[in-house]
Amino acid sequence: MPVERRNAGADREAADVNASPYSFYFMHFMPYTALPKEHEDPKKYPSTWVELPNRLYDPAAGKRLYKRYIGELVMADRLGYDGVVVNEHHSTAYSMMPAPNLIGSILAHETKQAQICVWGTPPGLTYPNRLAEEYGMIDVMSGGRLEIAFPLGTGMEYWVNSVNPTTARARYREAIRLIRRAWSEDGPFTHHGDFYTYHYMNVWPRPAQKMPPCYVVGSGSPETIDFAAELGLGYSVAFASHKAQIALNTTLREKAKAHGHTIRPNQLPIGVMAYVAETEEKAVEEYLPHIRWFFERALRTTGRYLVPPGYVSVAELAKRAAHGGTTHGGFDWDIFTRDFRIVAGTPDTVAEKIVKWMEDTASSQVTAQLHLGDMPHWKTVKNMTLFAEEVMPRVRKAAPKMDGLVAAPKRQPAMAEAK
Amino acid sequence: MSDAATLAGFRRETHTIDGIETAVLTAGDGPPLVFFHGAGTFSGFDFALPWAERFKVYVPYHPGFGESGDDDRIDAMADYVLHYLDLFDRLGLDRFRLVGFSLGGWLAATFASMERQRVERLALVAPAGLRDPEHPAPDIFGIPPEELPSMLVHDMKVLARFGGAPTPEMMVRGYREQTATARVAWEHPTDRKLPRWLRRIDMPTLIVWGKEDRLLPAGQAAAWKRLIPQAEVKTFGPAGHLVLDEKPEAVAAITAFMSAGAL
Repeated sequence: MPVERRNAGADREAADVNASPYSFYFMHFMPYTALPKEHEDPKKYPSTWVELPNRLYDPAAGKRLYKRYIGELVMADRLGYDGVVVNEHHSTAYSMMPAPNLIGSILAHETKQAQICVWGTPPGLTYPNRLAEEYGMIDVMSGGRLEIAFPLGTGMEYWVNSVNPTTARARYREAIRLIRRAWSEDGPFTHHGDFYTYHYMNVWPRPAQKMPPCYVVGSGSPETIDFAAELGLGYSVAFASHKAQIALNTTLREKAKAHGHTIRPNQLPIGVMAYVAETEEKAVEEYLPHIRWFFERALRTTGRYLVPPGYVSVAELAKRAAHGGTTHGGFDWDIFTRDFRIVAGTPDTVAEKIVKWMEDTASSQVTAQLHLGDMPHWKTVKNMTLFAEEVMPRVRKAAPKMDGLVAAPKRQPAMAEAK
Repeated sequence: MSDAATLAGFRRETHTIDGIETAVLTAGDGPPLVFFHGAGTFSGFDFALPWAERFKVYVPYHPGFGESGDDDRIDAMADYVLHYLDLFDRLGLDRFRLVGFSLGGWLAATFASMERQRVERLALVAPAGLRDPEHPAPDIFGIPPEELPSMLVHDMKVLARFGGAPTPEMMVRGYREQTATARVAWEHPTDRKLPRWLRRIDMPTLIVWGKEDRLLPAGQAAAWKRLIPQAEVKTFGPAGHLVLDEKPEAVAAITAFMSAGAL
């Protein structure tokens, strides 16, 4: 007897009509911070990615960090964040999540209300059926709380995975279409594509939601915008200036409309790096060393690793070669707080900035990066607590009205408990 | 992009082959001799001009390289072979002498094993494509750009001929050619089938190598010789990978080899 496919997301929307339409997701990179002091020297270690020798990884320190970071993600759920976000990177101290679904599955079990956004496995770096299955598991275990952001993967990932970077974009598109087909059509079906052949595509378990909310992850390249527009997907920006994000959101909305899709404000989450403290001075003072660590040490890499052959088009490379400049490995507080969504200050200051950023981008969802670099646990807890208790209510009160606002389909008790 | 500076002495023609604008340089007159270039074309083809005294030299740019157009559907050596069969039909080249260097050596060996009736005599110069565990080659995609010059030549002065510090245009050119190379060689920098099929190469064959080649060790010549028994091996030193630019004797050896037999 076939089970009727229900859309848990739609149920939640109906149940939560009075909930705030503005949402805040807590994102964690889970960096490996127990690096030796000599790592400070970029001449000795020009890249924290691809080539950083794994003898520098101490599993005992890793275990402590996992325990702590997972605790922080679970705490975000208790503090009332609408979602928690994890993401994937390989062969780097930047992130200890080469397999974010492993963390996602812990969160499915340990959190009660938050959406679980797996800011994804690059679908071209694994088998689409397996990825669809893993996501199906997390969605079922969490009672339909899964959201997925599909990244192409940074250039660095292609140096350390066995996938040809010249095929990255084409694989990416085929894999995403295939995974979404596997969730929207009854299986089994066959697929004969350029990169994947399935004699039987039949994803068990299928997700609890009819279709988990999906975003494309990108930095605003025309290819990813066109792809998101065509499928009507949300767009999560990896890292881009505020100005670039405004342009991107406008372009995506227009292009999606041409495909008959309306992009809602909660499909265009804006990343914010924030630190909240009692005074402006204290906030900057407590924050600075850690955001510096993030940009100067965690993000440090080489131009070659950023763009393996074929990862970007020749035209795009020519554009980059002409402009020069990169945010990888350099840090300037004044420039960064001017051009990017980075803020440290009192709850009033931080809330005011975020309201402005939401207004500029017509976005109702914030991806809050509140742990950064080698920030210690006490500062992380302080920051995420002040942000949840002092900043979120201020933003919710002052946030602008925008077209297409819906009470965020969030904070729904897990299905089992609802019955 | 035009390479006027490095291409003096050549005529240039273009042919549209299955939508790909294919640039072909030619020089001299006489029996046809085709040269397949390697993964980088920045250093031009001056070394080939002495061949033009006896042969009509054809230097086609592979799709994705130099002055030819791009085609991302070309992602295997067999695609290049078929592209060149189309081009040679267009040029009316039925039988010819074939020289291949580095990536172009791999292509020439593949071409000669598949289409041996077309190749009169074959010269492979520091050819890529063969995995030789006894003389392992470094991962060409893993070489940092700043280390590449010293991997290419033994005498750094040779490189000065091709311009000074890299410009953004040169970087873009290099990236484009690396992309085309990666399409065929990222997953498999060597062809595991090559050892099986090289036995089909039955024409007179010369293998040329620079003794100090750091990109593809000259020791690999022995493996090629094992698989193509009639091949003759000549090494030249001191010389690096760009042995044709470094050693006029290597160029002359190919002229002599190609001139043997009826002209």
